[in-house]
Amino acid sequence: MPDAINMNTFDVWATIVVLVLATAATRSTFWLVGHHITIPKRVNEMLRFAPACALAAIIAPDLLMDGAQVQFDPLNLKLLSGIAATIFYLVRRNMLQTIVFGMLVFTGLRLLHVFQ
Amino acid sequence: MSTSVQRQSFREGLLLGAPTLVGIAAWGMVVGIAMVKSGLSVTEASVMTLLVFAGSAQLASLPLLAAHAPIWVIFATALVVNLRFVIFSALLAPHFAHLPWRQRFALGYISGDIAVGLFLQRYPLETPDPGKVPFLKGLIYPNWTAWQVGSLAGIFLGAAIPAEWGLGFAGTLAIICVTVPLVLGRAALCGVLVSGAVAVAAFRLPYKLGLLVAVLAGMVTAMAVEELTEKWTKKHA
Repeated sequence: MPDAINMNTFDVWATIVVLVLATAATRSTFWLVGHHITIPKRVNEMLRFAPACALAAIIAPDLLMDGAQVQFDPLNLKLLSGIAATIFYLVRRNMLQTIVFGMLVFTGLRLLHVFQ
Repeated sequence: MSTSVQRQSFREGLLLGAPTLVGIAAWGMVVGIAMVKSGLSVTEASVMTLLVFAGSAQLASLPLLAAHAPIWVIFATALVVNLRFVIFSALLAPHFAHLPWRQRFALGYISGDIAVGLFLQRYPLETPDPGKVPFLKGLIYPNWTAWQVGSLAGIFLGAAIPAEWGLGFAGTLAIICVTVPLVLGRAALCGVLVSGAVAVAAFRLPYKLGLLVAVLAGMVTAMAVEELTEKWTKKHA
């Protein structure tokens, strides 16, 4: 494997350990000590919007960017398929169908694009 | 122990989360492929995915490993990449404050993005409810399993799947479906639009900090819109 250059085994295992620690620290700390902390009311009200905002922040770069480049043009297949899937979901309210539909649109557009 | 209420709540969580499992597995597969392609052995990659269960932190660590970055840099990077989970855990944890600490730790550890979104749709209030724990388990156990199955498949047969199939896009589609029902009303819609725009604009920030900035900007916007709307309706009532 030409890619497998210089990956030191010890480094890899140490990395696994620190990734576990970092994940536990961010995901579980509040679960362990949260009831000792009182979150101000206003912050709590704001947190209601956190899941939607976080999910949108994950999706947007996936749809709008190719690497580190913003892609607004009509040939952005992911954006087109994402919009089509959103409309499909708003109409049908069915997740699995939406995922399949979105992938079909994406693959269809990709293949069409290849043959252009 | 397992009353019919609990069984029913578990089933409810399972059914609600089931459609996202395809997307989750596809995402897991993308991470699995990336791990072996960047030089981890099959054993190392499998252990990493089974123990860590945090895709973006795993992906972020790969270039650092290849560049022989110091271990504390990898730790700090993973912390920052995972920061959104601190916000998520602040939202979820109060629902489960009554559980023993080991169980809280475990439930927190495997509650990812989609589980939080779906849980808060079903139980927006912190009032105690015997269905909450089984419902969350119905969401996160299959979610963890789907991720691991996808990841291991990626690790073992990753090389056979061409990158241009864009399998990871299935994960993005799953998240779109989870997000849409969360966008109730004008305030949330404005928050989501701002958050998405900021995430793209701030994408170049290191350590995925753009994601965190985007979430904060989105929350502040949603809050401001909500307060302005309230003032407006009071004035014109």
